[in-house]
Amino acid sequence: MHLDSAWSCGSIRRPPVARLRTRRWLSWLTTALASLIGLGAFFYPFFLSELPPATGLAHAAESPLLLGALGALSLLALILETQGGAASETKQVALLGVLVGLNAVLGFLETALPGPGGFSPIFFLIILGGYVYGGRFGFLLGGLTMFVTALITGGIGPWLPFRMLAGGWIGLTAPAVGRVVAWLRVRETRWEIIALAIFGSVWSLLFGALMNLWFWPFIGTAASQPGLGYWESGLSVGQGFANFVAFYIATSLVWDLARLGGTAGMLLLFGLPTLRALRRFACRFTFTVAPEESSV
Amino acid sequence: MTHPVRWFVWIAIASVATMLTRNPLYQVILFGIGLLLIDSLRAMQFPEQSGDGIRESGLPFSPLRFALFAVPAGALFNGLTSPFGDTIIARLPTSIPYLGGPITAEAVAYGAINGLILATLFAVFAVLNLAVPVRDLIGYLPRAFYPVAVVSAIAVTFVPSIKRQFVQVREAQAVRGHQMRGLHDWFPLFMPVLVGGLERAMQMAETMTARGFAARDRDEAARAAPITQLMSVLGMALVLAGGVLRLIPGWTIGSPFLLFGGMGLMGSAIWYAGRSVRFTRYHRPQWTRFDTVTVVAAGAALVPLLLWPISRDYNPYPLLSWPQFDVRIGATLLGLMVPVFLLPTRKDDTTRTFSTQRSSDINDQV
Amino acid sequence: MIRFESVAFRYPGAARPALRDVTLTLPEASFTVVYGPSGAGKSTLLRSLNGLVPHFSGGTVSGRIEVAGLDPVRVGPERMCWQVGFVFQDPEAQFVMDRVEDEIAFALENAALPVPEMRERVAEVLDLLGLMELRRRSLASLSGGEKQRVAIAAALALRPGILVLDEPTSQLDPESAEDVLQALTRLNAGAGLTIVLAEHRLERVLSFAHRLIHIPAGGTEVLCGSPRDVLAQTPLVPPVTALGKALGWSPLPVTVAEGQPFARRAAAKLEGARVPVDEHTGGEASGYLQVEALEAGYGTRPVLRGVSLNLVPGEVVVLMGRNGSGKSTLLKALVGLVRPQEGHILLQGHDTRGVPVAELCRQIAYLPQDPNALLFADTVAEELAITLRNHGISTQHAPLAPEELLARLGLSDKADAYPRDLSVGERQRVALAAIMVTRPDVVLLDEPTRGLDYEAKGKLLALIRSWRAQRLAVLLVTHDVELAAAAADRVVMMEDGRIVAEGSAHSILGEDSAHAPRDDSTGAQSFAPQTVQLFPRRGWLTVDEALAHLAVPVNLAAEPPA
Repeated sequence: MHLDSAWSCGSIRRPPVARLRTRRWLSWLTTALASLIGLGAFFYPFFLSELPPATGLAHAAESPLLLGALGALSLLALILETQGGAASETKQVALLGVLVGLNAVLGFLETALPGPGGFSPIFFLIILGGYVYGGRFGFLLGGLTMFVTALITGGIGPWLPFRMLAGGWIGLTAPAVGRVVAWLRVRETRWEIIALAIFGSVWSLLFGALMNLWFWPFIGTAASQPGLGYWESGLSVGQGFANFVAFYIATSLVWDLARLGGTAGMLLLFGLPTLRALRRFACRFTFTVAPEESSV
Repeated sequence: MTHPVRWFVWIAIASVATMLTRNPLYQVILFGIGLLLIDSLRAMQFPEQSGDGIRESGLPFSPLRFALFAVPAGALFNGLTSPFGDTIIARLPTSIPYLGGPITAEAVAYGAINGLILATLFAVFAVLNLAVPVRDLIGYLPRAFYPVAVVSAIAVTFVPSIKRQFVQVREAQAVRGHQMRGLHDWFPLFMPVLVGGLERAMQMAETMTARGFAARDRDEAARAAPITQLMSVLGMALVLAGGVLRLIPGWTIGSPFLLFGGMGLMGSAIWYAGRSVRFTRYHRPQWTRFDTVTVVAAGAALVPLLLWPISRDYNPYPLLSWPQFDVRIGATLLGLMVPVFLLPTRKDDTTRTFSTQRSSDINDQV
Repeated sequence: MIRFESVAFRYPGAARPALRDVTLTLPEASFTVVYGPSGAGKSTLLRSLNGLVPHFSGGTVSGRIEVAGLDPVRVGPERMCWQVGFVFQDPEAQFVMDRVEDEIAFALENAALPVPEMRERVAEVLDLLGLMELRRRSLASLSGGEKQRVAIAAALALRPGILVLDEPTSQLDPESAEDVLQALTRLNAGAGLTIVLAEHRLERVLSFAHRLIHIPAGGTEVLCGSPRDVLAQTPLVPPVTALGKALGWSPLPVTVAEGQPFARRAAAKLEGARVPVDEHTGGEASGYLQVEALEAGYGTRPVLRGVSLNLVPGEVVVLMGRNGSGKSTLLKALVGLVRPQEGHILLQGHDTRGVPVAELCRQIAYLPQDPNALLFADTVAEELAITLRNHGISTQHAPLAPEELLARLGLSDKADAYPRDLSVGERQRVALAAIMVTRPDVVLLDEPTRGLDYEAKGKLLALIRSWRAQRLAVLLVTHDVELAAAAADRVVMMEDGRIVAEGSAHSILGEDSAHAPRDDSTGAQSFAPQTVQLFPRRGWLTVDEALAHLAVPVNLAAEPPA
């Protein structure tokens, strides 16, 4: 038997185009729906006051327990979806494992060293990882970083699914910066880093705000306080939101500004060389190869 | 050795109980049980957990301290922001945005209960963090998440070696005249570790391939994927529909069916995806009758809470009153305390392995 | 059974093939050693045995490969893992799980074997590699040799008939390396495993190799045959074979045991006069760098207990000793990374206590064990610039022009290369450039020969000699006796944090010394240079020295031994 085979960097075995398009469409839909449900679980408490009265099962569906379960389910759906594309090859699994481990150590530094406020070095790699290796990879990098950090620091709690979701979304949305960068034609320049730093700044605040939301059903907007007959006198969505914003500014904004400064600062200072290093390896990590008949 | 599933069930039941009731008396019982378990778990010092050299600190901070912060903070916040309730303690001028208006005893009490619930949840999950070794937390992820479990295992295994590498890099940079003057000087320490990690990832992928990782039947997995996706999408659509329906007066009745149906479908998608993942688990802890007792006792704690909900839904509004206490509920909640008495005793041989391991860890660093 | 028929392989995007026209046959239960310079294609050849090449690397294969009746190019590593176990260079980078047992079981879990069978197999390989007692230990707590044995056990869990190892000992100290090689001989002789091993330190493994494959630079003209036949045709060989070639011994000896009869004959022809050993007086009283009664360590436990040492310009001092004897700690203490608890370190007469590491390192260059820890810039030239910047020196005012330094290190054409893309030897020289651009007076090297091939080792030796000529003081920590024999003016032996012997290379590495490096398990001097083992009590350390004294007509020594 004589077999000549050719493998080349980046030739990926592709199913027929039509099937591929369906798959991609399904994949988009899964990601979007799961994210929507996750966001719903985050923001549901604000809408409680707008709801018509309910009893029994419907009432139970508004409990924090169910919201937590919904958040966790949408997280699992997202992981299931992203791991199909971003952890199906051995190289990706190894690369993810190593980056998550590295990030977990950075996260550990954060808990071990009393840094300034909410500064955390973990967002840096999540953003760059998602930016270079794609949104699904970024989602897993962000989510699993939160998971493994919680494992090694004893930080598992009801907040974990929400942290994983929010961390994952950072990585998932990072490639959007790439669109902007490509559109402005500023790849490999200072502006690319500035765009990433702006992205990181926005997420620093957003992440803090989302993390405040997971326990909102417990701390409660006044709107969700039962027994008030709140259908008549309860707070509206707008008021609940204003309440939350006040709470956020009072308790977390300073904290999150430190995170913003840290993340943006790290991106501006180390972003470019780190990007270069990640890109250098991107081709080595280019995935599946398939045999095609050819001669040497 | 205790079976991890014992703890998973315990945590699930304890946290459901915590979220079911707003009665501060029950909350205090649950919180107390949590503290007691944490204390005895700490005293145990499971060799298989602390000896793995991975989890450095038991907990980031103590649940008791968290409660001392959360209860007053909750009371203060709700007291200031919620104008409802009949017992007015004080009044803030209405010119202050958000905070102005009456401060009521009911609002303060409601807020304090909020803080207590958070603290209890924290204590309950602290038990999980202390009782189950990292390896088992990863090992018991659902089948469908096998790749993610492997990623986590790699990451956890990599952590001690990153720390060693970090020390090496710091020394190597120091002898090139590197000094820590500002944020910028972290770069020469970070970069070699990152690039070293990327190189290592390549080697790791190679070794995993050489040992047959991904040898599972890929075609089968690929065939399963579209079905999983469809189930998942359908489930999520149902959940969303349920959520929307809930907003429309008159249609509310249908919403829970859609919600729970959708959630069920999402769960089935995960189960279905797991079916095509073929692997077996080497590490199998033994299930003992102690584990059965723990689980049964914990399960029993939930029953009266579900059966007799009157005292469960305590509400300070509109006029503050002392919460009712149902002895049946109080007594069965104590069933959650069973694991305190069923913790294995410390064995001498295991502690010895633990200490030799630690000293060799130090040697490694030398 | 492994068979290659005119196999060629080219990596994707490469201009030339990495391997060309390889034809060889390796019988079952044989022990084969693969050697050749780094980057010549050893790894490529090994990886083609289980399909990692081309399935993992990409690239183009032609010719025919047959391993255990399968074609790895066709079936890929996922099938081949049942036939071929593979062990890599760096034990640390191979581990997925954090515990010995779980790591071994990983491949089995993945193969979805039933639990009882899994238990049985794990126990079997643990036993085979003597790891039973370590089964529940965390991998991070194991020594290098133990880790590598775990990696071997993990590779054998699927019960392959062939075990392939890619330089498994190059990152290990000699004791650990011995540990691993012993395990391999047991596996080969006892369990009948076919072993294919890539290894730089041939002298270690030739005694049990049945076959030798030599891959020269360029990957063409690959030789495969008995060790004797192959060594006869290749230039870089162990000292005993080099002596044999020079003196025309036949059949050519490949191990010391085979060489000894020839050596006895050759020596007998000489008058019994033992060459007088020039007793080196040790460092002069006032060295450039002086250590006085130094005690230092980590935490409260001192690692160094009263060490005194002198380094003098123009002298190469080799520091030897077992693992954990305090060699690396001494080096770190010299540059201030570990601070003395007692005693003094004097640099040109001034106590270095309180002097920052950065300042000390302008005058004392220290090359850590892993040069990768130093390198992070995008280009080689940038690495040098970073060191200068750290010291606040502008490139124009550098004490040694970077271009000149790179030229001296043979890196002129690599100035713009990405350091991490270079070979092990080149990376090490880049690291050297990065620490020597301040023009230090003292050079400290911590095990610089790890992972180096013969050629890179030769270059390093030439460098060390050139530094001596430039009146630099050199302190070299190494386990490599042949390098020590070739480079040392003075040898210092350490044990348990103390200096137990000090003297000229001849007096320490020659046989009579009580402190000569010894293999504790056998009591034999297996770590002594081969020349010393062949010609004991002569005072010759290297092949060159021996030949200078044995300059006898070739035909006299050519008779086969009785």
